[in-house]
Amino acid sequence: MEELIEILEEINPDVDYASCTSLVDDGVFTSFELVVLVARIGEEFGVTIPPAQIVPENFNSAASIYQMIEKLEED
Amino acid sequence: MLLVSYEFAAFLILLLAVYYLVPVRFRWMLLLAASYLFYLTGGMFYVLYPLITTVTTWFLARRIGAVTRESKAYIKAQGMDREQKKEYNRQVKKRQCRLMQLGLVLNFGILAVLKYANFVLENMGILLGAAGIEGVVPSVGWILPLGISYYTFQSMGYLIDVYYRKYEPEENLAKFALFVSFFPQVTAGPISRFDQLKEQLFAPHEWDFCQVKRGAERMLWGYFKKLVIADRIGPAVAMIIIDPGTYDGIYVFLGMVGYTIWMYADFAGGIDIVIGAAQMFGIRLPENFDRPFFSKSLGEFWRRWHMSLMLWLREYIFFPVSMSRFTRRMSELVQKHFGKKAGMKVPVYVGSIVVWLTAGIWHGASWRFVAWGMANCIVMLISQELVGCYRAYHKKFAFTNHPRYRYFEIVRTFLLFACLEMFEYYSFKNVFVMFGNLVTTASLSQLWDGRFVQLGLDAADCGIAAFGILLMFVVSLSQRSGSVREKLERYSLPVQYAAFFGMFLIVLVAGVYGHGYDASQFVYNQF
Amino acid sequence: MKKKIWITLLLLLMGSGVILAGIQRLLIPKYMGQVVEGAFIHEYYQEDTPHDVLFLGDCEVYENISPVTLWREYGITSYIRGSAQQLIAQSYYLLEDTLRYETPKAVVFNVSAMQQYEQENETYNRMTMDGMKWSSSKWNAIRATAMEDEHMIEYIFPLLRFHSRFKELEADDLTYYFSPGKVSHNGYYMRADVRPAGDFPTERRRADYSFDPRAWEYLERMRLLCEEKGITLVLMKAPSLYPTWYEQWDSQIAAYAQEKGLVYINGISRIEDIGIDFSQDTYDGGLHMNVYGAEKLSRYFGSILQEIPGVEDRRNDKALAAVWEEKGQFYDTKKAEQEAEFAELGYISQFYSGE
Repeated sequence: MEELIEILEEINPDVDYASCTSLVDDGVFTSFELVVLVARIGEEFGVTIPPAQIVPENFNSAASIYQMIEKLEED
Repeated sequence: MLLVSYEFAAFLILLLAVYYLVPVRFRWMLLLAASYLFYLTGGMFYVLYPLITTVTTWFLARRIGAVTRESKAYIKAQGMDREQKKEYNRQVKKRQCRLMQLGLVLNFGILAVLKYANFVLENMGILLGAAGIEGVVPSVGWILPLGISYYTFQSMGYLIDVYYRKYEPEENLAKFALFVSFFPQVTAGPISRFDQLKEQLFAPHEWDFCQVKRGAERMLWGYFKKLVIADRIGPAVAMIIIDPGTYDGIYVFLGMVGYTIWMYADFAGGIDIVIGAAQMFGIRLPENFDRPFFSKSLGEFWRRWHMSLMLWLREYIFFPVSMSRFTRRMSELVQKHFGKKAGMKVPVYVGSIVVWLTAGIWHGASWRFVAWGMANCIVMLISQELVGCYRAYHKKFAFTNHPRYRYFEIVRTFLLFACLEMFEYYSFKNVFVMFGNLVTTASLSQLWDGRFVQLGLDAADCGIAAFGILLMFVVSLSQRSGSVREKLERYSLPVQYAAFFGMFLIVLVAGVYGHGYDASQFVYNQF
Repeated sequence: MKKKIWITLLLLLMGSGVILAGIQRLLIPKYMGQVVEGAFIHEYYQEDTPHDVLFLGDCEVYENISPVTLWREYGITSYIRGSAQQLIAQSYYLLEDTLRYETPKAVVFNVSAMQQYEQENETYNRMTMDGMKWSSSKWNAIRATAMEDEHMIEYIFPLLRFHSRFKELEADDLTYYFSPGKVSHNGYYMRADVRPAGDFPTERRRADYSFDPRAWEYLERMRLLCEEKGITLVLMKAPSLYPTWYEQWDSQIAAYAQEKGLVYINGISRIEDIGIDFSQDTYDGGLHMNVYGAEKLSRYFGSILQEIPGVEDRRNDKALAAVWEEKGQFYDTKKAEQEAEFAELGYISQFYSGE
């Protein structure tokens, strides 16, 4: 999780990731940020996020992103 | 059949009556029949195109779904371990991918051939001409089937979604056919997702006066935008933008702003008619505009303008392309040579370029639209690069947090968008020439030098257009705190009716339609 | 509660209907100013005495025949149902329409409309058909002659056609809001100004002199309808210098008339007998006649009409004489006004658009 927060702060340091649950819905993460994020996660966690997983529900909070990574690591 | 025609009005009224008279379970079938009837009025032959798309997409998606089911059952039956399962799933995906690709190639192929054949032929002619060979490339006179760009994109979105396993494919061909050809949206979108629209189309819709009323109100508002504003200023705007030789100076600005307002009134008005018509049948279509002119940046603007297309491009082009193996390889390559930071930018750049190229040629088969797409792409990427600077700037200067600074941002975004639209109607060179001309020679006095009179807008037209645009603005402002129609419902029925009828009268009398009236035409000068 | 809502809604709808009708009446052209032809067709319905002769056709009847002269000279009661570029199909349906109100003894149809079956200017269609009262005849007339971009609904609700007139409303729209003024003399369009005939383009040869089969069809329908009602059909061609009435056309009509036993009078070949002087008797250089030409033609034509069985001298009928006395006064007043104005100004201001 800490690793993830680090990546997120790299992208935009001005957000409180612990509490925010509408990163996509509020436009904090636009498609630009999402693509960078996916690439960084791929590098750091070694998982490939398929385009099908890029839905707001998966990216609205740090927790949901982490959950998705865990799920992908399992498969 | 055009959405603005007596035929459409009669069609809609008749259909509504029948729709709420037949038993609920037949209603979606009636809509399917009506949709095909609607399409048939454009010519017998053209029905073939949506029919091909419907059948092939339905069939391939169903195959993909069947493969998924079969493979799951197979895995269960064989009792595979994790590694075996992974390998087997990879093979299954490959098979499914092929099915999907077949659908994409076929349907985008039809679209490409019909829409872009002349564009390709023309450019081949130019190339050959440059090589000294002339007059060998023919051109084709194909007419585009109604709404082909819209229903093709919508169907292909469905196919990809099924491939991604976002939802199960539709088993019933008739139901799927309605999804592809639902008559209000087939001409101009919005491009809908199957899982969302499915619930709307096939749910039982009981008679609901409120829905019908709101739908009618929405349609009326659409007709207002289209007939009172767009069709009034349209011809004048067209005169300005097709004749940059005559209309320079301040008229470049007038054309820019006029074109943008015209396009919004025309397009958003059309979408209001579509969404309103669907609502009268109890069907909610996704929104296509979210008051885009209140955006504070171009990026935000594009998330609020033609939303269904931008969402489609984002989901099915931007993400897949920027996350494709090819892009990843390129990214790694760039990282190796130019450092990590540059490498991380590769996916965004590749994705953006492909998206805007697609958006460009989607709008029209010409280099102007390609230029327009690229111009947008460049502005978007530059502002993305400057995100850090903006943040610092906003932190440093307190006034940027003042509410009034928002107004500045809104106006700036509007002007930026309007400027970029120049690529759509001027030749590439002229965009810069005319922009320079505007900056260096514009003066207000040019409005009184006789050129304005040539545009054919008299004082009454200008007044009505101004009133219409103001009303559109006020309604948008009011929408910030919720639906205007719902607010109207707080009043008594007669008041609601008076508002509706008043608007109806305005559209009826001040709308631009029919023959127009020119008293001199009535002077009997024939023998 | 439910019932109350429906009643409210019904009342609101009725109110809207009244408002719409009111706006429609305001916006449709009144044809009381420079352009008066659009008012002719409707004016007929104000008549309350019968007519022995009905004239049908385009400007070649409504500018060339003066019913008042026919009355004064021969005691013939007549009415002209003609309007700008009135097509043969429209003339036929106007005949049907007229037969709902009266059965004349003779119908005179001016054959110039044979040369062009289809309408070329939508406004002329409006001027002819907007004035017709609603009936199956009006419906059929619209169906037969509407141009491609015209819609039935725009005839049913003329507001749809004339809505953009809100920008050009004039005093006439209020003056004649409730009732129209009188602009014609039993369908006759009076002009007392003079513009001598000039030179016309030389007649061009045509590749094909045959009439549209649909025009023939309507001529035949007109003949059959007259036959059925015991009406004598007379074909005429007004004596105008231009546009050319080709000999090839003339001989076809003459042959048809002979075959069917109809009287056909080609005024062009009788210009001298009629006594028309094209330096005096036309107001637009020889295309149309002024009141002097029309009176001459009427005088000549009346002598033929009075031979038709049933067409009688009705000057002894007191009631009719009173009605026609009034018509005659209106006619004389208007003629004197126009003459005075023309003598003073050299043009008639009502019809002058400052050329």
